Amino acid sequence: MSVLQFGVELYYLVMALVLFFLTLRREPKAAADHRIAFSLSAVGLLVALLCLTQQGELFFRSYRVDLFSQIFKLALALGLFLVLAISRNLPSIAERNHAEFYLFLTTCTIGMMMLVSSVELLTIYVSLELSSYSLYILVPLRRGDDIDVEAGIKYLFFGAVSSCFMLFGLSYIFGATHSTYLSDIMARMPELVASPIGVVGLILAMAGFFFKLSIFPFHFWAPDVYQGGAHQVVTFIATASKAAAVALLIRLAVLGAQYGYHFTQILVFLSIISMTLGNLVAIIQKDFKRMLAYSSIAHAGYVLIGVLTLQETGLASSIYYALAYLVMNFTVFMVLTQVAQDGRDLKIAELAGLYHRSPLLSMSLILGIFALAGVPPSIGFTGKLFLFTSAMNQGYFWLVLIGAVNGTLSLYFYLRVVYAAYFVDAKLPPIQLSPPMRALNYALCATILYFGVAPNSIMELARAAVRAVL
Amino acid sequence: MAEHPASFPVLTCMLLSPVVGIAILLCLKEEQRFLIRAVALVAAGISFALSIYTFAGYDKQLGGIQFVEKYDWVKAFGISYFVGVEGMNAPLLLLTGIVIFTGVLTMWELQHRVKEYFIFQLALVTGVFGVFMSYDLFFFFLFYEIAVVPMYVLILVWGSTRRIYAAMKLTLYLMAGSGLIIPGMLLLYSSSGLFTFDMLKLHGVPFSPWIQNVAFVLLFLGFGVLAAVWPFHTWSPVGHVAAPTAVSMLHAGVLMKLGSFAILRVAMYLCPLGFQYWAQFMALLAAIGIVYGVFVGLAQTDLKYVIGYSSVSHMGIVSLGLATGTVDGLNGAVFQMFAHGVMTALFFSAVGFIYDRTHTREIHELGGFSRIMPVASAFFITAALCGAGVPGMASFWAELLVMVAAVKVFPIRGLLAIAALVVGALFALRVVQTTFYNEPNPKFVHFEDVSPFLGLPRMILIGFLVFFGIFPQYMLGLIKTSIVPFIQGL
Repeated sequence: MSVLQFGVELYYLVMALVLFFLTLRREPKAAADHRIAFSLSAVGLLVALLCLTQQGELFFRSYRVDLFSQIFKLALALGLFLVLAISRNLPSIAERNHAEFYLFLTTCTIGMMMLVSSVELLTIYVSLELSSYSLYILVPLRRGDDIDVEAGIKYLFFGAVSSCFMLFGLSYIFGATHSTYLSDIMARMPELVASPIGVVGLILAMAGFFFKLSIFPFHFWAPDVYQGGAHQVVTFIATASKAAAVALLIRLAVLGAQYGYHFTQILVFLSIISMTLGNLVAIIQKDFKRMLAYSSIAHAGYVLIGVLTLQETGLASSIYYALAYLVMNFTVFMVLTQVAQDGRDLKIAELAGLYHRSPLLSMSLILGIFALAGVPPSIGFTGKLFLFTSAMNQGYFWLVLIGAVNGTLSLYFYLRVVYAAYFVDAKLPPIQLSPPMRALNYALCATILYFGVAPNSIMELARAAVRAVL
Repeated sequence: MAEHPASFPVLTCMLLSPVVGIAILLCLKEEQRFLIRAVALVAAGISFALSIYTFAGYDKQLGGIQFVEKYDWVKAFGISYFVGVEGMNAPLLLLTGIVIFTGVLTMWELQHRVKEYFIFQLALVTGVFGVFMSYDLFFFFLFYEIAVVPMYVLILVWGSTRRIYAAMKLTLYLMAGSGLIIPGMLLLYSSSGLFTFDMLKLHGVPFSPWIQNVAFVLLFLGFGVLAAVWPFHTWSPVGHVAAPTAVSMLHAGVLMKLGSFAILRVAMYLCPLGFQYWAQFMALLAAIGIVYGVFVGLAQTDLKYVIGYSSVSHMGIVSLGLATGTVDGLNGAVFQMFAHGVMTALFFSAVGFIYDRTHTREIHELGGFSRIMPVASAFFITAALCGAGVPGMASFWAELLVMVAAVKVFPIRGLLAIAALVVGALFALRVVQTTFYNEPNPKFVHFEDVSPFLGLPRMILIGFLVFFGIFPQYMLGLIKTSIVPFIQGL
């Protein structure tokens, strides 16, 4: 075993250790803590990049390092780096808890990194729980009214229930195949074709990831947690944790690739309900984060379209979309944190006058929102079209039609955000952005446009990653 | 169809000229207004010049698709950047060049958020150029959407009457249209088994009648929204009225043509059996649109609404020409796209000038306007004559060809359309008389007429209308080079 094969995880373990020592300080030093955490995450991003091409199997074949896992680790490292970049000002978290905030974000990242490399049922379960427990602590960390407590309890409760479902499903799969290794299970899946136990087991096993992705019927937590959590915590949940969930969903869905009709039909059903429900309910939301929560349910439905195709381009499209979602959703959340610098919740109407307060932020917002709506030439448009194309290639005409109609539905509530920010005047003071924050804005805008117009490099990388899994 | 590679990337340059313009504008400050206008004008001017170059430089003897550029884009999905010019799209590229160039000149006096205005206008025109020159279905759709989206912002920020309602309605209608286009387009892509978005390759695939029927109706309805096909036209007059002058010019002059062109280029070209199956239905909607546009236009008192509904009617002529599926019908339809584009641009440009001065577009308030502003009035009257299909104007030939074909193929609907157009022509003349030839409104007598500089864009538009009205063969001969092989392929 080369150290580099486990290099990213080791690095983040060391980072977590450093942050753990920061939490032991008698007097909190918020600025210094942020500087250290942010610098370490920047180095972590480089380490993840260096380890991108690592390959191998570790820990008695329960842990696979391949291009697929390394891409997602890079995405997770990027997610953490970006979230820490907007965490310099953490008004909704008590100063004495800042170091804990960085620590648990890091442990959550480690859990998710392990998750994307796990190819054995128990390892998957333990990794998922590691990431989930960190988030259970992070969500109620927000100070203020009781909304944070309610959100924390809801997240914990639904998390626990989905975890139970998942364990139940895993035990079915183990019972039917007598192995906890995905490679063995895949080989024995054809034996299960005759009985429904395989379908039920797989679907239940996916429950944990359905929960993370907030796919129907595991979506109930999302609006409350999005509204109740601190902006930066929600940003992390809405971006990095989604990417990790997509990774494992793909690994598990591939198990059902030969399984056929019933398995995919269930995924089709979940995708349609998630898209439609998310978009319809988002229309009536007034709170910005709640609206984004419902839109995330809809986007989970879109991602599922690629997953349920169970072939190379479809899965690669899902990866492309997950990465795109990370960037575009982060862009919107970044604007949210900058507009609501005091950490309060923001109504959509409160974005009024943003164009005058900060043209740059409003440009980022308009690009992020248009990307989420699937407007060209953004990554959101290209990603959606890839997903639809893959699904159509597999004969899912009605699914594509419903997906496309949903795209139109979603435009209505996304345009309300653009309208508020760009066209409603309000006499509010300008928002000052620091030079690094300005650079981040430009970088995100450029990424949204560039990879929308030139998606080939990411798509080829995603295809290569999928080949490692199939 | 034969493909002839470009000796230099003229079409990419045409496409990139507005993009470079946008990039430069982004670096300028809002206060540098003259520079902003100059950059926009130069960017539009280069595109215009290149569109003339491709129109005039197209070799009719050689035929086929010329100035071709083709590069792989996303291999996994068989997407390539494939652009070219043939007889069918050369007039529309020229039309776009004309309208954007004159549009920038028309908006020269704009004072409110000037930089952003020209950025969005150039973005819109990039999409329009892209649609007209693309032979790859993915890029076709990408550019189609790029053309549609800036309209939302342009109407919302710089629009007038009920701008918020109009912008939202327009965007949702057009996006709903896209919701139909995507499945239709992908149905063809996936059923071809070729895994390519190349339209020429897809054209060669013998799709089953069921697939063609389904894909055609999805594409026709989806693109039909933008072409203002009845009954999906309701966004159009409202949008025309709300939009600022140059945006109305682009909107009615160019954007609506994207819908008709897409029906021809994508729906009819890729689904010939589907077209035959739905042709009667197409013709019926077109005939209703023509009659409806004329009669609803009769009841309007706002000049922009009059033009808006006449556009629905005139676009119905395009749809009717397409529905005939004959050489004359298609020739006339493409010529009508060009003629109507220039004519409507002139209409809105003239009305825009009048509105900027008087702040009214009400017909009864503008009585006797020709005595106050004879030149500005002359622009409007010329456009009205063109709209009435007077010989010597480009639209005369277009309407003539379409009606001849329509009467042959769909006699009742053709005759009904002709009757409606006669009523429409009479009405247009009555509008001209009421607005420009009664007693002048004393409120407006002190206004000055159009300056030579502001008259320039209007003169350019009239020049093209008259030139192709007197020498229609320049246009028809070019269009025919691609319509004949197109019909043979149906």
